[in-house]
Amino acid sequence: MSIADARPGEMTAAEIALGRSRRRRRRAADRLIDVLLTVVSCLMLLPLLFLVSNGFKTPQEMLAWPPTIIPNEPTFANFSAVLRDTPLLRWIGNSLVFAVLSSISILATSAIAGYILAKFPFRSLSVLFMVILATAIVPFEVYMIPLYFQAQALGLLNTTWGLLLGYLVMSFGIFLIRQNVIHSIPDELIEAARIDGAGELWIFWRIVLPLLRGALGALGVLAFFQAWTAFAWPLIVASRSEAYTIEVGLALFQTGFTVDLGRVSAASALVLIPSITLFVWLRRNFVQGVASTGLKE
Amino acid sequence: MAAVEIQNVSKAFGKTEIIRQVSVDVPDGAFVVLVGPSGCGKSTLLRMIAGLEDIDSGVIRIGGRAINDVEPKNRDIAMVFQNYALYPHLSIAENMGFSLRLAGRSKAEIMERVAETARILGLSQYLARYPRQLSGGQRQRVAMGRAIVRNPQVFLFDEPLSNLDAKLRVQMRAELKELHARLKTTTVYVTHDQIEAMTLADRIVVMRDGVVEQVGAPLELYDRPANTFVASFIGSPAMNFLEGSLSRENGAAVFVSAGGTRFPVTAGDAAKAGDVAVTYGIRPEHLVLAPDGEGTEAEIAALEPTGSETHVVARTGGDRLMAVLRERITARAGDTLSLSPSPGAGHLFETASGRRIGA
Repeated sequence: MSIADARPGEMTAAEIALGRSRRRRRRAADRLIDVLLTVVSCLMLLPLLFLVSNGFKTPQEMLAWPPTIIPNEPTFANFSAVLRDTPLLRWIGNSLVFAVLSSISILATSAIAGYILAKFPFRSLSVLFMVILATAIVPFEVYMIPLYFQAQALGLLNTTWGLLLGYLVMSFGIFLIRQNVIHSIPDELIEAARIDGAGELWIFWRIVLPLLRGALGALGVLAFFQAWTAFAWPLIVASRSEAYTIEVGLALFQTGFTVDLGRVSAASALVLIPSITLFVWLRRNFVQGVASTGLKE
Repeated sequence: MAAVEIQNVSKAFGKTEIIRQVSVDVPDGAFVVLVGPSGCGKSTLLRMIAGLEDIDSGVIRIGGRAINDVEPKNRDIAMVFQNYALYPHLSIAENMGFSLRLAGRSKAEIMERVAETARILGLSQYLARYPRQLSGGQRQRVAMGRAIVRNPQVFLFDEPLSNLDAKLRVQMRAELKELHARLKTTTVYVTHDQIEAMTLADRIVVMRDGVVEQVGAPLELYDRPANTFVASFIGSPAMNFLEGSLSRENGAAVFVSAGGTRFPVTAGDAAKAGDVAVTYGIRPEHLVLAPDGEGTEAEIAALEPTGSETHVVARTGGDRLMAVLRERITARAGDTLSLSPSPGAGHLFETASGRRIGA
């Protein structure tokens, strides 16, 4: 033992070695986690990559082995064929209108209902909240057929309004906003505004909504994708090709045009563009809104 | 500015009575502090003045006008909350000018009044910032600025200093007092901190369980507490209480505790007490060191030197006494010392009701 090691309060050589080996082990574990995560994310990305690259491949190359990620002879033939032979843009347009209107409606109803359920403590409202939560238990498929007959009776088949019927209110959205209001908007803030002379509508627009931006952003993304990826309801409401949403269109692609992998890939790749754009744009909101319900000042 | 009159006001949440027949007068320009332990109803009473809680019965008047059914915004009051309640998404200037903007004042006027208020409060360089960028004390000042800028008839403060650290609290207390001296706006202030109450108030209202226990100037409450509750609540460390009875020894009235401690009592108090069971109260700062053989012999249980004074916990017979001595004590725990009350400093209360006996 050296003199330095023997000083009281200092670590002995053995302790230092132990600390070093512990640190080394921790670093090794970190590296292992990194590698694992990289592999998993590659595995998740791979199908997506193949989908996009297949869209650019000729039929011969598509079937070649081993498969290539970057096509040898990239071609736009699949894309132009898809765009020429099918009303793909029309379907994307239908889906966009449907998803945007549905999101707006869900955001509006959730914000109003969530705020009122959180900040106006009446017994009747808590019963109402229970009822709203209970609706989340009933699967959509259960009331899909009755809803279809309603849409038919109203003459809404093959219209955007018909698509929207089941997508105007989202019980989870109301719940999400209610929890966010409870956690991030103290009563005193609203009371202070009332004393300052603000009316209830003013408080909602100028105080509550701005403070719910994060949560509403997250809910907006959720609502958009819920409508964008909806399949069963659009499938039965839209029976004419020009009224299809993109999901329905893509599904019918495979049966209607045999299985042309190149075209399906090209069409799917085109469909991904709006979803990815929106997600990238709202990503921060999304993570924040879902992860942190309590924004304590 | 205006006086606030609270007359026979009651309030219940469900079956729980929060406020019971409370009457308080707040004269024009006065600084009145509502003080009491948590759950005593002081905050509810303040919120009733603000219009944030309905009044079940009784009347509250501001400037002679009954405001029971008047909307909060039309009561011409401003309130400062414990958590400041600043709008997180608005700048300091926008926070302070919020009420003026709602009142439809011109931009120039709002800017001028906000700037003037910010100058008074030393906030001028922070006007463009957001609440999250300020410290606790600065936020508190912004909350006060938001109240001042409206130039209301009445200020309502709901434990405004509770979220600040001890040092800042003392500083803000002084600032509040200075501000009141300058603006002379009628103020109702709620706190559970009796030191805040004592230092700030023109008049203190002590509440317990929804009832007003005593109203008076700070020193009046300190010198002549109406009952044992007020006596124990006002003053720190709290008053010593000894239960016992009165008797006569060598022609003088003496209080004898159950534990055997004896303290002299004035003849007037003794006469008023008759022969009911009494509680003798003596503040720690009114117990002084006595020459050996003259006071009450007590064994030191613990010593707490604070620098400026020494807190002594002493045992005498079966009783425990807390004394605050100005002297430096060289004795240690286990030693004995002799304590006696300052002349006329003892308080007598009826044990059964807790009410004060005599003048």
